[in-house]
Amino acid sequence: MTDVKHDSHPDDIGCLEAINGLYAYLDGEMNDPQAVRKFEAHLEHCRSCFSRLELESALAEHIRRSAKSRASDRLHDRLRQLIDGL
Amino acid sequence: MDSLYGLAMRLTRNGADAEDLVADAVAKAWSAIATLEDRERVRAWLFRILHNCYVSEYRKKSVRPVEWSYDERSVDGAEDDLASWLGEQSDEFLIWWANPEREFANRLLGQDIMAAIEELPEVFRTVITLVTIEGLPYDEAAEILGVPPGTVRSRMKRGRTLLQKALWQHGKDAGLIAGDERQGCRI
Repeated sequence: MTDVKHDSHPDDIGCLEAINGLYAYLDGEMNDPQAVRKFEAHLEHCRSCFSRLELESALAEHIRRSAKSRASDRLHDRLRQLIDGL
Repeated sequence: MDSLYGLAMRLTRNGADAEDLVADAVAKAWSAIATLEDRERVRAWLFRILHNCYVSEYRKKSVRPVEWSYDERSVDGAEDDLASWLGEQSDEFLIWWANPEREFANRLLGQDIMAAIEELPEVFRTVITLVTIEGLPYDEAAEILGVPPGTVRSRMKRGRTLLQKALWQHGKDAGLIAGDERQGCRI
């Protein structure tokens, strides 16, 4: 695996650094504004990393939609009785 | 309540155990409500009680054996580097990974994604539940699990890539991944 630097952008962080920061960015955990700027600048000219972020975002959204669990009425009743008895 | 049940389901992977776990956690929380200092963090507090309850009383009687193949020592080391992990994967997977196609996510069924999450080792499906599904920040997830935030960060990276590998394999088997045009890996 090799890093890809975009020659036309001298300050480019490169694909490896972008990929390593991608999940922190996606989760809102990239707290350094300069790191955010550099990451977003990379996305502006790197189709591969931009597409990866799009796929990751879509997957995360899909997971959130699919994962919603609903506690049964039976469990609600059980907890009500439990709390009443404490 | 649905969130607590959701985490319990991800942990136990069994409806009856999940309900018992929620009931135990709620009973413990109710009796310890006076110790809750910050009421705005009640959700994280409940998650922590439920997780502790699972670790101390449920994990050992889990229907399926506990899987533990993750080396926590890698958190601050080179193995935490996503690129290093990817470097160990097959060329076929790498080519797919490096040439992402947003539509792939749309072709997957929710049940396929949830099945893939369920098959992840416990440490990964737990952080994915807390961070991706429940939307908690890393530091809150870390507090719930009793680990440093860096460990959550590391588990999220590794868990997501393991999940993608599982989904890629599923996509390949189910014919959801285009073949010939996925050339031109840039990484």
